[in-house]
Amino acid sequence: MDGKVIVITSGKGGVGKTTATACIGAALALENRQVAVVDMDIGLRNLDGGMGLENRIVFNVVDAAKGKCKIKQAAIKDRRIENLYLIPASQSDNKDALTPDIMVRLCKELRKEFDYVLLDCPAGIERGFENSVAPADEAVVVCTPEVSSVRDADRVIALLYARSITPRLIVNRIVPEMVENGDMLSHEDVVDVLSVELLGLVPLDNQVVISTNTGAPLVLQKDSEAGQSFRRIALRMEGQDIPIEIPQAQKSFWKKLGIIIGIGK
Amino acid sequence: MLNRWLKKLIGKSDSRGVAKKRLQFALVYDKLEVSDEVLIKLHQDIVDVISRYFEIDKESLKLDIRKSEGRSALIVNTPILSARRIYPSVKASA
Repeated sequence: MDGKVIVITSGKGGVGKTTATACIGAALALENRQVAVVDMDIGLRNLDGGMGLENRIVFNVVDAAKGKCKIKQAAIKDRRIENLYLIPASQSDNKDALTPDIMVRLCKELRKEFDYVLLDCPAGIERGFENSVAPADEAVVVCTPEVSSVRDADRVIALLYARSITPRLIVNRIVPEMVENGDMLSHEDVVDVLSVELLGLVPLDNQVVISTNTGAPLVLQKDSEAGQSFRRIALRMEGQDIPIEIPQAQKSFWKKLGIIIGIGK
Repeated sequence: MLNRWLKKLIGKSDSRGVAKKRLQFALVYDKLEVSDEVLIKLHQDIVDVISRYFEIDKESLKLDIRKSEGRSALIVNTPILSARRIYPSVKASA
């Protein structure tokens, strides 16, 4: 087996990288792929909590880098989703333990065991970014429809191009009502500014907060719009030709009535 | 709903359009940012090139990047003291 290593990055923090990594990883595993998600945020690990696996950590990626264990031993098996494994970050502050070369070596091992290795990149464009990008074959950039997030995404995209990686974009936390009212950048605006291939659109969804509260996988919730968006994103990453759905505003009763009798849109 | 009508009535522009324009400007400017080190090297190179053809006051040569209307211009300003009569060949300068 020779799996793909994909980095999930954004530049700016707090735009949903970790949620995206957990969801895409789970969604790919549901498609019967062997998936490892790796938390690259050394010292500030969070992917474990997002996946509800924080109580089961034995070894972490820094242990593997130092040779205290094999990288496969650091992988925690998800109990709810078959074929999904998490390799956690360390919580102590030895962030110099990882280097791009070490990550390339560790990922070479992981490629043999997994179809997909997803690297949850830390915010910023410093060392953690370098470590996460060095072993990657592909990149997914996550941004929200805000000026600061798009600006940082542009910077990260340029850095990825400089390393001969052509990234694909996920626009996260779209509020369709605000876009409709002209109070939020639309996905067309974002794609227009960044001129990059779109991988998917994810609406703002309260279920994300609820599922991270409990650590339950979002993609297993049929009523979660964001969860279902991530499942379609995973299918696109698998190479399936699935049209990109545009998040639609929930129409109120009076609006619906207006459409029926022919006034309003 | 009422908010939207009010906005239309007082002719307030939509914040989405404003955001997009700000972004486009920010990105153009971000990409134009040149480090001091690069500017110093550029300055030296320009002085060298001009000195081949003109006698110039090396100290008073001014290099400036001006941004206006979404474009930027490199402006070099130097007083010429005199023209050189014999141009050094490319070989000699290399």
